[in-house]
Amino acid sequence: MLSEREARDALRSWVASKAKPEASGRIDDATPLFADRYLTSVHVPELLLLLERLRGAPIDPERLGPGDFHDINTIVRRFCTPAPGRLPGG
Amino acid sequence: MSGTDAASRLREAVASLDDTVDRLASLSRRNYHNPYEAAWPQAVDPEGSWYTTPELTSLYGTSVWDGLAEPARRRLSFFEAVNFFSLNIHGEKMLMAGLASRLYRPDLAGIADYLHHFLDEENKHSVYFGGFCRRYARIYRSRQVEFPGSPFTAEQDDFLFFAKTMIFEEIVDYFNARQAKDARLHPLARFINEYHHAEETRHLVFGRRLTARLWEVCAPAWGTEARESIREYLHAFVVMAWREYYNPDVYADSGFDDPWSLAERAWQAAPQQAHRRAAFTRCLGVLRAAGVFDKDPADAF
Repeated sequence: MLSEREARDALRSWVASKAKPEASGRIDDATPLFADRYLTSVHVPELLLLLERLRGAPIDPERLGPGDFHDINTIVRRFCTPAPGRLPGG
Repeated sequence: MSGTDAASRLREAVASLDDTVDRLASLSRRNYHNPYEAAWPQAVDPEGSWYTTPELTSLYGTSVWDGLAEPARRRLSFFEAVNFFSLNIHGEKMLMAGLASRLYRPDLAGIADYLHHFLDEENKHSVYFGGFCRRYARIYRSRQVEFPGSPFTAEQDDFLFFAKTMIFEEIVDYFNARQAKDARLHPLARFINEYHHAEETRHLVFGRRLTARLWEVCAPAWGTEARESIREYLHAFVVMAWREYYNPDVYADSGFDDPWSLAERAWQAAPQQAHRRAAFTRCLGVLRAAGVFDKDPADAF
C-alpha cells in the first residue's frame, strides 16, 4: 500500500485529469466532487480501480454509497489509510 | 422547456421508427429461441481450450502475453470469457430495468411491441451468461455504482439510456461477431457468442436508428451547454465501458501478481489502444454521423 501522501497525490492527479481544464484549478481536497459535478457515476469504476491499485486490495462495491466519495479528504480517509475511518472490508 | 414539449418530441422521434420496429418484431418472432434446452457440459477445462479469441484478450500484444506459454494463455482466455459474460450480465441487468420502466409509457407507446422482444431477448442472453459463469467459475463483480439523482432532464435521461445501450452493445458485438466465427473456441463459448450476435444485430439496428433520431429531434431544444455535458458524459461512459475489459480479478484468477498494476499496464499498452480504436470505429461512425459526437473520446484510446 502506498503512503497516504502518495495516494493523495495520485488521487489529486486523477481527479484533475477528469475535470474540465478550466475547472481543475478550483478543486482542492475538500471540494465536493460529485455534488459539484466534477465527477459523475460513470467515473466510479475507474476511481475504484485506481483506489484498489493504490491500496493493493479489492473494494466491495456493494458496500459503497455517495458519501464515501464526497471529496479527496474523505476518499483518502476511507480507502487509503489504515485508520478507523476506513470501510470494513471496503 | 415543458414536459409536454418533451413528450411530443419523443413521440415524433419514435413514430419515425414504425416500419423498423414492425420488421424487427417480426424477425424476433420468427427466430424465437428457448434458452432452457441447451446442453451444458458437466465441466470445462480452462487450459484445454480457447474461450476468448486470443487476439481479443486484454493482454494480447503486450510483453506479458509474449511471455506466456499456451496453457497459461488459454487459462487467461477462459477467465476473460467469464469476465465478458459477467459484464454482459451486469449491463443487461441495467438494460432490462431501463426497458421495463419504459414499457407502455404513453410517449414511447410506438415502440412498446419491440421493447417486449428486446426485454425478452436480453433476459435469455443473461440465462446463458449466468449459466456459464455459475457452472464453471463465478460472476465477477461490477464496479459500477449508481448514485441517486441525475444531473439531466427526464428527456435527456431517455436519450442517454438508449445511447449508452447502443454503445455497450456495439462493443460487445465486436467481440461476439468475431468469436462466433472463431473455430479455435470451445464449442460452448462459440455458441454463446454466435447466439448473442444473432439477436444483438436486431437490437443494434433499433439502437442506432433510435439514438440518431432522438438526437435529431430532441437535442436542438436542449441548448449548447446541455449538449456539451451530454457529450462529456458519453465520452466518460465509453471509457468506463472499455475499462471493464481490463479486470484485475481476471488477472488474479489467472495467477498474476499485482493484478491492478497489470490492468493499468494493459490499458495503456499501444496494441490495446489500437484494438479499442478499431473495435469502436463502427460505433464512432454512427455517433459522429448522427451529430452526437463531434470529436473522439480520446481517453478511451
